Amino acid sequence: MRFRIAILAVLLCCGFSALLAFQAHFKEYKGEEENPTAVPPDPDERTEWTFARLRYPSGRYSGYSGEVGSWPIDFPKADRQFLAGVRRLTRIHTRSAEQVIDLTGDPTEIYNWPWVYAVEVGHWDLTDEQCKTLREYLLRGGFLMVDDFHGTFEWDVFVQSMHRIFPDRPIIELPDADPIFHTVYDLDQRVQVPGLQYLYSGRLYEKDGFIPHWRAIYDDRGRVMVAMCFNQDDGDAWEHADNPQYEAKYTSQAYRLGINYIVYSMTH
Amino acid sequence: MFQFLFKYPSNVFAKGKFVLLSPWPVWLMILLLAIAAGGLFWNIRQRRGLLSTARSTVIWLAQTALIAIVLLMLWHPAISVARLRPQQNVVAVLIDHSRSMGIADDGKPRLQSAKEVLDTQLLPDLSKKFQVRMYGFGKDAVRVDQPDNLVADDNATRIGDSLKHIAAEAGTMPLGAIVVMSDGGDNTGGIDRDTLAQLRQLRVPVHTIGFGPDHFDKDIEVVDVAAPARALPQSRVSARVAIRQHGYGGASVKLIVRENDRPLAEQTIVLKPDADQSETIMFNAGAPGSHSFQIGVVPAEGEQNTRNNSVVRVVNVAEKRMRILYMEGEPRWDFKFIRRAIDDSDDPAIDLITILRTTQNKTYVQGDAKAKDLENGFPAAAEDLFNYDGLIIGSVEANYFNNDQQRAIADFADRRGGGVLFTAGRFGLSDGDYAKTPMAEMMPLRLTSGKTFIRNFADPSLTEAGRESVITRLEEDRDKNIARWKKMPQIANYATVGDPKPGAVVLMTVAESGHRPSPLLAIQNYGRGRVGILATEGTWRWKMLQDHADTSDYIFWQQLMRWMVTETPGKVVSSTPKLVLSDETSVPLRASVRDKKYEIVSGATVETTITRPDGGSDVVSLKPDPLEPGTYTGEYTADKPGTYVAETAARQDKTEVGRDTITFRREDGVAENFGAAQNRDLLEKLSRDTGGNYYTPANAKKLPDEIAVSEAGIVAHDNLDIWDMPIVFLLVILIRGGEWLLRRKWGVV
Repeated sequence: MRFRIAILAVLLCCGFSALLAFQAHFKEYKGEEENPTAVPPDPDERTEWTFARLRYPSGRYSGYSGEVGSWPIDFPKADRQFLAGVRRLTRIHTRSAEQVIDLTGDPTEIYNWPWVYAVEVGHWDLTDEQCKTLREYLLRGGFLMVDDFHGTFEWDVFVQSMHRIFPDRPIIELPDADPIFHTVYDLDQRVQVPGLQYLYSGRLYEKDGFIPHWRAIYDDRGRVMVAMCFNQDDGDAWEHADNPQYEAKYTSQAYRLGINYIVYSMTH
Repeated sequence: MFQFLFKYPSNVFAKGKFVLLSPWPVWLMILLLAIAAGGLFWNIRQRRGLLSTARSTVIWLAQTALIAIVLLMLWHPAISVARLRPQQNVVAVLIDHSRSMGIADDGKPRLQSAKEVLDTQLLPDLSKKFQVRMYGFGKDAVRVDQPDNLVADDNATRIGDSLKHIAAEAGTMPLGAIVVMSDGGDNTGGIDRDTLAQLRQLRVPVHTIGFGPDHFDKDIEVVDVAAPARALPQSRVSARVAIRQHGYGGASVKLIVRENDRPLAEQTIVLKPDADQSETIMFNAGAPGSHSFQIGVVPAEGEQNTRNNSVVRVVNVAEKRMRILYMEGEPRWDFKFIRRAIDDSDDPAIDLITILRTTQNKTYVQGDAKAKDLENGFPAAAEDLFNYDGLIIGSVEANYFNNDQQRAIADFADRRGGGVLFTAGRFGLSDGDYAKTPMAEMMPLRLTSGKTFIRNFADPSLTEAGRESVITRLEEDRDKNIARWKKMPQIANYATVGDPKPGAVVLMTVAESGHRPSPLLAIQNYGRGRVGILATEGTWRWKMLQDHADTSDYIFWQQLMRWMVTETPGKVVSSTPKLVLSDETSVPLRASVRDKKYEIVSGATVETTITRPDGGSDVVSLKPDPLEPGTYTGEYTADKPGTYVAETAARQDKTEVGRDTITFRREDGVAENFGAAQNRDLLEKLSRDTGGNYYTPANAKKLPDEIAVSEAGIVAHDNLDIWDMPIVFLLVILIRGGEWLLRRKWGVV
C-alpha cells in the first residue's frame, strides 16, 4: 500500500512539474475586457503563434487609474478579429484566441511568446523589474509592437519608460525601405489609421498627434526590436473591421501592417 | 629437444609429405595388423580368468600398438621434402638499420644485437651451405659486404618495399630463402598484399628474427589521429586520437592540440589499464589556409619514449563560403533563430539563403541579393539547385515540390554530394506526406504514417553518439558539454518519427515525461552526401528561455549547418591518401571531375600544379583511371621536407570545369619515433604467410638447420627416413615396459 502511495506521489509530482513546464494557457479576463466578444472555438489550441497582449500596470500618468488600467483597450475583440485575419491571409499557424501576458505575474512567461503587443503605452507605468524583464526579452530575440498612443504627453511617458529599458538605444523613424514594410505587403504608402473617435469627430488624429509615425528601436544588427505605431490606432482598426462605418482602407492597412510586423518578427 | 626426438627440425614435418617407401601395399599392412590384433584378442580371451575385462583390454591395446609400430616401420616410412641444394642457392639476409634499431633496450643497441647474432649464430653455418648475400634496409634494401659498417640512421623502415626489391632480384639468382633481422617497426602500416603475393608466388620463405621488447615498460604512444582533411573557417573540428600505453594504466594525462606550439584545446583523460583507447578532442580549425596541428598527449613522468606522444595532422581550411538553401513552408520561430545563428555570428563560412512561404501565393527570400532566381520559389532545374552546398527542408508539404524537384532533392545528396536536413513541422516529414516520395529513401529515419507532429514540450537528450559528435558539442570539454545539454530548456514541439535505418546515427532523442524516447536528431551518409532529420521546429526555446548572452542555440545550428556542407564536394575534388608524409616521398594524386549536373566527366584534361617548399613548381598530368570513370590519378615525388600546395584544374573542350587545392606536408625524422617497440605480430605474420619461421635472438641458432627446407631456388626432393627416429624406439620401450610393469602389478607376469 505504501509503495502504491509512493508511486502515486511520484506520478503526481511528475505531472505537476510537467504542467509547470508548459507555457500559460488561454484565460479569460472577465471584468477587464473593454469590448467583450464570444470566445472562439478551440481557444487553447497549441499553435506556432498567437496574438500575445501585454498586461501591464498603468495609471500614474493619466485617468487609467482604476483596477483595470489601459492594457485591455479594444480587448479582446481587436485581438480575435485580427487573429482571424492572420489565419485567413497567411500561412502562420495561428490560434483563434489571444494570450494575455501578465507582466505583473510570472516574469518568465513572456519568454514563451516571442511577439507581444501593448496598447496605450502612453499610460503604462512599468516597475524596474518589469523594465529589466522587457529588456532581457528583447535582447533574447523578442519583438514588441506598441500602438494607440498619441501626442506629446503620451510619447514622453512612453519614451521615459523605454529609456529605462534601453538607456543606450535611440528611437529612430523607420525608413520606407526597411524590410518590415515589405515582408508580405509592400507598405511604402501609409496613411494615419484613426481610432473609432474619427467617426464622431471627423479627425484622424488624437490630442496633438497630427502626424503618424512608424518608429522603432533597432538591435545591434539593425533589426527592429520595438515597433512603435505612434499617433495611430491599429487596434481600433482591427476591432472595428466589422463596422460598416469604419473605412476599409484603414482596416486594410492595419491588417497588412500587423501581418508585416508579425512575419518580420518571425524572419529577422 | 624436438630435433633430438624426431631427428629433423619441426619445419621438415610441417612442410614435408609423409610417404611409405616399401613396395608392399598398405592394405597388406592393415590386414596383418587386423590379424595380429585378432590373434592377440583370442589369446587374451583364452586367459580371461586371470584379469578383469578392463585390464585385459589395456594389455591387448598395448600389444596391438606395439605390433602396429613394428609393421609401420617395416613399411619404411619417410618424409618427402624439398630441400635447398647445398652451395647452389642464395640466402638473402636483410638487416634493419633504421633509427629504431639504435635503441638500446638492455644497454645494447638492437642493431648491435643483430650483428652479434649474425656473426655468432647464422653466418658460420649458413656460409657452409649457401651463398649468403647481405643487405641493409630502411626505406629500401641496399647490398652490403660488411654488416659491421651499418649504422642505425635510416629515417624509415619499409619492410615491404625492401622485400619487393629482393624479390625482383630473385629472377637473376637462385634465391632459396630470405632472413629479415628487424624490430618490425614498419612505417608504412604493414606489408602490402602485392608483395606478399609476389613472395608466395616465388615460394621464397621469409624467416624473421625479431629484436627489441614487445613493448616499453613505461610509454604512452599516439598510435593514430583521425582528423578531417578539410574544414570550414572557424569551425569546430573533431580529432579521434588512438592511444596505447604501458605502465600508466589509471593515470590522468592531458590530451592537447597545438598549432605553432600554441595550445588550442586540451582535456584531461584517464588511461585505461591494459587496453588501447580512443579519445575525441575538438578544436577550432581557424582562419582559411593550411593548418598543421600537433595532436597528442603531454609526456608523463618517467616515459621511456616521449617522441611518440604526438603527431601532426594537416587540415585545409577552405576560403570559399558554402551556400545553404533553406526552404520553409510557413513562418515559424525556428526560422528566425536559424537565420540569426548565421547572421549574428558573421559566419565566415556559410551563406544562408532562405525562401519562406508567407502566404499561399507569396514567398519571401532572404540572405542573398543575387538570389533573383528564387523569386519564383524553389529552383526548378537540378543544376540551379546544385549551385548550393546544403539544403534545409522545413515545414513544407512534399507535394509543393513537383516530381523533378523531388528527384533533384534526392540527387542533391546522392549525386551532387550535398548535405540535406529535413525538419519537422505541420507540413514536414510524415505530416507533409514525404513517406511516398523519393525523399523518404534518403532520410536516416523511417517515416511512419499519419500525423506525428505534436506541440508538446519535451526534453531533448544526447545519445552516446551525440556526446561524441561535433554537431552537438556546445563546450570543448565533453563532460561540461553533457552537463550543459542537461540544463537546456525543453523544446516546444517534436515529431515522433520512426526507427533509424541501418547506417543511421541518432545523436539526440526526445521524450515527454513517461514516454518512450524517439529520435530527435539523426544523420546518415547517402550517396556522396549526407542527410539529417531534426524532428522538431521548437529549438527557438533554447534561445528565448536562456539568458540573452547564451549562444547554445546558435552554436548548435552553426555546427549542424557546417556538418551539412563541410564535405560537400566541388566539381573537381583532389585528394591524396596522406596529407602528412612521414619520411616518405611518394605522393599519389587523385582527382574526381564532374560537370555542372554533377555527372561524371570522363574525357577531361586534368593537371595538378604543385608548389614546392622552395617556391618552385611542378606540373603533374593526371590520367583517367580505367576502373573508375571520372577519376584521374597521378604520382608525384616530394623530394624535400616541407609544405606543398597542389592545385588541380580540370578542363573539358577548353572550358574549365573546376579546380581544387590541397596542401600536404613531408616531415622527416618522425616515423621511427613511433612503433619503436618490436612489432612481433608483423614479423610473425610475414613468416607465417610466406612459409618461414619467426625466431628470437635466443633461438636463432636453429635457423641454419631449418632454412634448408624451401621450395624456392634450386631444390632436391629428399625422402628422409623416419623409422630410426629416437622417438620410435622410445615409444616401443615405453609400451613394452609399461605393459610389463602393469602385468607385474596385476600379478600375471
